[in-house]
Amino acid sequence: MKYQLKLLKLLALACVSTCGGLSLGAETIKVGVLHSLSGTMAISETSLRDTLLFAFDEINHAGGIKVGGTTYTIEPVIVDGSSNWPLFAEKAKQLLEEDKVAVVFGCWTSVSRKSVLPVFEKDNGLLFYPVQYEGEELSKNIFYTAEAVNQQATPAVDYLLKLGKKKFYLLGTDYVYPQTTNLILYKYLLLHGIALGDIGGGLRKDADGKVISAGKYTPFGHTDYQQIVAEIKQFAASGDACVINTINGDSNVPFFKEIAAAGLNPSDCPVVSFSLAEDELRALPTKDLVGELGCWTYFMSLPSRENKQFLARWNAWLKTENYSGVVKEKRAMDSPMVLSYDGVYLWKAAVEAAGTFAVDKVRDTLESGSVTFDGPGGKITMLKNHHATKNVYIGETKANGQFKIVKDFPQVEGEPFLLKGLDEKLSAMK
Amino acid sequence: MILPSPQRTIVRNRPKGCQGAWVLAAHAPLRWGSLKVGLSWALAGVCCSSWLGAIAATAPSPAPAEKAVRQELSRAILAEDPERARLLNEIAHSGSTIAQEVLTAWTRDGVYLYDGSGAAKIPLLLEETPDSEGKARAIRIDTGRFLAGPDGHDLRLAAADLGAADTDMKLRQTVQRALDTLALADPNPETRRSAASKLGNSAKPQYLAVLEDRLAIESHGEVRRTLGEAIALLHLADTNPAVQLQAVRGLAAANALGAYDVLKRLAASTNASPEVTRAADLAARSIALHLDWVNFFGTVFRGLSLGSILLVVALGLAITFGLMNIINMAHGEMIAVGAYTTYLIQNLFGAGFAFSIALPLRLWGKPLAFGLHLPGLNASGGLYESYFLVALPLSFFTAAAAGLVLERTVVRFLYRRPLESLLATWGVSLVMQQLFRMVFGANNVQVSSPAWLQGNFTINDVMFGYNRVFVIVFAVLIVLGTWFMLAKTRRGLLIRAVMQNRDMAACLGVRADHVNLMTFAFGSGLAGLAGAFLSQIGNVGPGLGQSYIVDSFMTVVVGGVGSIVGTVYSAVGIGTTDQILQQALGSPVLGKIIVLGAIILFLQWKPGGLFPTRNRGLD
Repeated sequence: MKYQLKLLKLLALACVSTCGGLSLGAETIKVGVLHSLSGTMAISETSLRDTLLFAFDEINHAGGIKVGGTTYTIEPVIVDGSSNWPLFAEKAKQLLEEDKVAVVFGCWTSVSRKSVLPVFEKDNGLLFYPVQYEGEELSKNIFYTAEAVNQQATPAVDYLLKLGKKKFYLLGTDYVYPQTTNLILYKYLLLHGIALGDIGGGLRKDADGKVISAGKYTPFGHTDYQQIVAEIKQFAASGDACVINTINGDSNVPFFKEIAAAGLNPSDCPVVSFSLAEDELRALPTKDLVGELGCWTYFMSLPSRENKQFLARWNAWLKTENYSGVVKEKRAMDSPMVLSYDGVYLWKAAVEAAGTFAVDKVRDTLESGSVTFDGPGGKITMLKNHHATKNVYIGETKANGQFKIVKDFPQVEGEPFLLKGLDEKLSAMK
Repeated sequence: MILPSPQRTIVRNRPKGCQGAWVLAAHAPLRWGSLKVGLSWALAGVCCSSWLGAIAATAPSPAPAEKAVRQELSRAILAEDPERARLLNEIAHSGSTIAQEVLTAWTRDGVYLYDGSGAAKIPLLLEETPDSEGKARAIRIDTGRFLAGPDGHDLRLAAADLGAADTDMKLRQTVQRALDTLALADPNPETRRSAASKLGNSAKPQYLAVLEDRLAIESHGEVRRTLGEAIALLHLADTNPAVQLQAVRGLAAANALGAYDVLKRLAASTNASPEVTRAADLAARSIALHLDWVNFFGTVFRGLSLGSILLVVALGLAITFGLMNIINMAHGEMIAVGAYTTYLIQNLFGAGFAFSIALPLRLWGKPLAFGLHLPGLNASGGLYESYFLVALPLSFFTAAAAGLVLERTVVRFLYRRPLESLLATWGVSLVMQQLFRMVFGANNVQVSSPAWLQGNFTINDVMFGYNRVFVIVFAVLIVLGTWFMLAKTRRGLLIRAVMQNRDMAACLGVRADHVNLMTFAFGSGLAGLAGAFLSQIGNVGPGLGQSYIVDSFMTVVVGGVGSIVGTVYSAVGIGTTDQILQQALGSPVLGKIIVLGAIILFLQWKPGGLFPTRNRGLD
């Protein structure tokens, strides 16, 4: 009896293993999704996970990825970083070493990206990073579909300079992205002839007198902007002033309520915000923001045919999908979501061109500059410096939370390293 | 037979003119055959018709003037400098609203050129919303009518197929100046003031004439002041030292804040005469002094407004913690209840409110979910703006009801166990936060201020925001109301008795349970009121309570547990000190750190707070 039971178990095991070994239909390829699905960043990052799932479904329904004669369907492996940066590194390790994913799409905050960078370099993984950031970084294992500073901050400043603005007030949340961006903009403004006294917010210098921080900074979750807005009002009293706003999170609400209460209207002193897209505008009092500026490489109100079809497909997918945790009502589409989507298609194109999923070959193909995709925001091309060439748009906020596009800079090449060049030009100017 | 004397209302301060005729007609008794009635109504009727006639006469007759402006606009778009500059100058003085619309579109690349059958191109505007193919009808600028094809039907064109009328920076600046000149004649005084300020800062003397013309006919005080400053600023660029001197003195006398930069530059310049530079230096100094005073009073006002917010937030806690010795960690969530109630009322006055909750449970195989849809009033205008007045008492009552429930279910058993009350109410606060997330969503919700709370008024350049003034006034009213209730009413007497010695009061026949219930509900209601105010100033989300709970406890403890007066003093003190330090140190965070440090030191010196009514031993 015992012997027969053992034989039965062995037989069952053999069956299962052969069945598992048979390829029933197409092959699958695992890809990783590394975002915060809980915690403080969940509000922003769950939208990226949703867009990635949409992209994967679209590719699978269209037949999958064709590599070396075989068709592969994408199998997403979704892990939750929980807004906990060391956990991001652990999850990245898990994705690369245990799940052995071919590529990871993920991260939002710069600190999460910097946490996972050593893991990707050690395990030779591939990460596509879609969220606007401060630059000054280039890893051979990360491809940045994100907006570099010269694809968001400096075009916006160029537009403001063209409008005739001569005084710039720098304001942001106190962490690496606003600090670095404002430092770059401070040097950029000096190079363009703006006087030192016309750059508002204050300067901090180190022991040698070198400026290490420019502008006014408030912590996350700060709510009292009375004093700062009173300063801005006085700064703007002599005309031709504007505010560069890198406040992140819901501190933007009390800030813009104060701006509205102080009577600073966008035609006198426009506020250009780099961290507010259509997704965040859903929770802001957009009545107080009408006319303020935003600068991204995609706006939901882009009138192109690709964008309209993309939005139609996205809305149709939202109706029919049944992944748990995906909210169906009142969704908005914004630049980080579209750049995640673009990243998936760029990777697919690179893999199909290289004929393999191997990271080194895919990297070489992407660096060759031939991988391009006609995304909803326009044509996006990967460059040798792991950044992308994209269109840049400047928009004015409307009361319905959408942007009205007032300027576009076509096909701007992303350049991450700006500080060194600016420093050299500044010392040459002296 | 004594006839009853006709009822006549005595109309004091008889209003004159047409209004008077109406009033008299309204008040005179309606007795047929009364000559007075007949005459009053006839007079009212004549007045009205003449008034309407006057309006009709002054309404701009649309046809000839607009047409001429349209033709000029069309020619200006196609022309080159200097003809274009001349045409733009004429358009700027026309005061036409069409010109404003077309010129604004031109600066935004919104004017298109259509290559018609003739040699000349036709300047067009496209309709705002294109149809499904991306095409829209085109409006000819020169006639204002839709562009028609050879068959007479309106042509539909896509923006991508047309060429936009090119603009460069120089042209855009000229067009912008024309727009600013047009804005000087705008009916809205704020637009006029803003346009005058921009023209003054432009440093282009050619705008002097148009500013002086406007000053001669302007009646609004604030706009007149700005026009005067703008004229003086432009005079500063004059070569004649006497004119410059007069302008500098004028700006100093007016304490024009906007002129500070220009005056400093003039004081440092080498071109101007020494007399002028000296005067400019003095003027800059005087304006800097004025700015210091403005900042001082501004800081005091901001301190008061921050203090009043701390006060309304902490007053409820002063009552529950101070009077009843309950550490209520759910106090922040009561604030959130009030804020969300305001959001609900705003939506009910608007388009309605709907929510659905899907519980992670299954009942007979089907997921358990329920939803609610409340239709809105779709009110508009004045009725919609009054939502806040309705929301205020409702916030109080909703939060009071929530406090009632909390007291009956949890707090009632914990009166003699304050440490357990801390843990239990902390748990309740977590449950309430999750409830908010489930019903309203994890994101913040939009609460916009009603129109009468928006904006500000300035006294001598010191800015007072209406919503902040409202909070200060209401905080004063709340404090007075609470003091009155506690000190002068019977219920207040009972509350104070129970607070001093619960058992003794119960022995004397006071229903201690009932008094506790009412007091807790009152404290929670005050928190709800605070939430309604906070919804106007900050954001409303599930985490709203957590941001204010620490500040509330801090204010109550510094003021002295159990003392309402102490809470008032400590709230105003903390608020003012925080703002003064922010102003002095220039950093928003450093001020708060120093305030917290100072509070810690203060509590070492006076552990009972400012007005200790009893020790903080929790007995």
